[in-house]
Amino acid sequence: MIEFQNVSKMYVNDVYALYNVNFRIQNGEFVFVVGASGAGKTTLVKLLLKEIEPTAGSIFVDGVDITTLKRREIPYYRRKIGVVFQDFRLLSDKTAYENVAFAMEIIGASGREIRRQVPAALGLVGLGSKAHDYPHQLSGGEQQRVALARALVNNPSILIADEPTGNLDPATSMEIMRIINMINRRGTTVIMATHAKNIVNTMRKRVIQLDKGLLVRDEQEGGYFDEL
Amino acid sequence: MNFRSWRFYIRNGFQNILRNRVMTLASVTAIMVALFVLGLILVVVANLDVMVEGMESRMEITIYLKDGTTYDQRIIVENNIKSWDEVYEIVFISKDEALAKWKKELGDKGKLLEGYSGENNPLPDSFIIKIQKPEYVETVVERISAMPAVEEINYSTQVAEFIGWFARGVRIFGSLIVVVLAVVRVVVISNTIRLTVYSRRKEINIMKYIGATDWFIRWPFIIEGIVLGIIGALLSTGLVAGVYKLLIDRSGYINVQWGYLGIFKLLPIGEVMLPILAISLVVGACVGVMASTISIRKHLKV
Repeated sequence: MIEFQNVSKMYVNDVYALYNVNFRIQNGEFVFVVGASGAGKTTLVKLLLKEIEPTAGSIFVDGVDITTLKRREIPYYRRKIGVVFQDFRLLSDKTAYENVAFAMEIIGASGREIRRQVPAALGLVGLGSKAHDYPHQLSGGEQQRVALARALVNNPSILIADEPTGNLDPATSMEIMRIINMINRRGTTVIMATHAKNIVNTMRKRVIQLDKGLLVRDEQEGGYFDEL
Repeated sequence: MNFRSWRFYIRNGFQNILRNRVMTLASVTAIMVALFVLGLILVVVANLDVMVEGMESRMEITIYLKDGTTYDQRIIVENNIKSWDEVYEIVFISKDEALAKWKKELGDKGKLLEGYSGENNPLPDSFIIKIQKPEYVETVVERISAMPAVEEINYSTQVAEFIGWFARGVRIFGSLIVVVLAVVRVVVISNTIRLTVYSRRKEINIMKYIGATDWFIRWPFIIEGIVLGIIGALLSTGLVAGVYKLLIDRSGYINVQWGYLGIFKLLPIGEVMLPILAISLVVGACVGVMASTISIRKHLKV
């Protein structure tokens, strides 16, 4: 379970990027975080990844207040979370297979585990046949699928997707959403920041809407409308 | 730390070296040049040290004997002084030899001394004593002045002090330069490795998001730094050895030109180069580690 309790974040410019935000996400939920640029979506994602610290409030993940984690505990916390970004963030000098294997190597997995899990993860996102292609040989959608395979290969309990379809055309976006939805159905909590209206409207999942740092809407099976 | 991780670190460290060939070349060159300068300084310091020791051993005391000292009395003095540990050498110069030497030094004007030869020679018999170390001069002088046959003692504490001061100066100045250069090297090389880190910042960033520990990220860079440092050290030691070999080959010529300045004789190459190789390897590796650690610090803050 993920819970934000009175979370505020102010950067150096004295403007609140998030102000007194409260919400609770149960295990296995699928939540869209929507809002215009600068509404606070990215700040929320960064707080969850413990890339930044809140100015006030507490963030609980699986019962632990992550704002109290020590620096050396952060890597182990992050292993519970898979993350994909708008710009994919693949290593250009590694093949699809190596990019996914890399995620396992850095947590100290054995060669046997890697050889078993990586093809499974690539198969799950439908890229089994392109395992040995380099990122530049893959389309944008395929690159994002590699990123998804990397995010889920260590079986995280939470998947955070920050504008995962931002660089993709509508058809490819829907394909990516199909995979993310499938990952969610396998039991992974999904938190996806987006401003892709049609995706949110089509999927009909829980929507948390931010506006100028305030949580202005939190509804089950919501749509994404611009007006409040 | 488990074995698998170490395999990963070492593999990645070497991958970095091979992947960024230009950077590797730049780093190795920087380390090599810096260590080359260090090596040259060490060569100079080592040789100066030995030279200064040589000069110290040539510390001289001149003693003049009373007029009318007999041969027997003279031999007693000579044997007595010769038996002291502090004394390196003792040479007798008779009054006739002293006069002849003086005449020779005056050259054309030597004729002026003609009336003083034989019975009229005003110069005393003397001993020139060479002392092992400058700090022994005072004790030796003290003991000699107690001897009845001795008229006068001539020695220069100033020269002794100067030589001692010079020896200390060489050592202090040498170590100072070595320290300054070490700092300069860390800065230069950390900048070079910073380029490697910068070119891999995306990878570091991704590693942080996936949950790699700081040390997991650091080790490959540290290994890269050590390997670069060692390669640089080997190359620079080779260069220094080459230069030194040339110097030794030429030094025969120099010794002939400057005759008695044989004190400038260079140390044998093996004796000098082995410690320099060891120092270069250690310094090179340490600098590599420090430079990597400094360069990567900023990028770990995600």
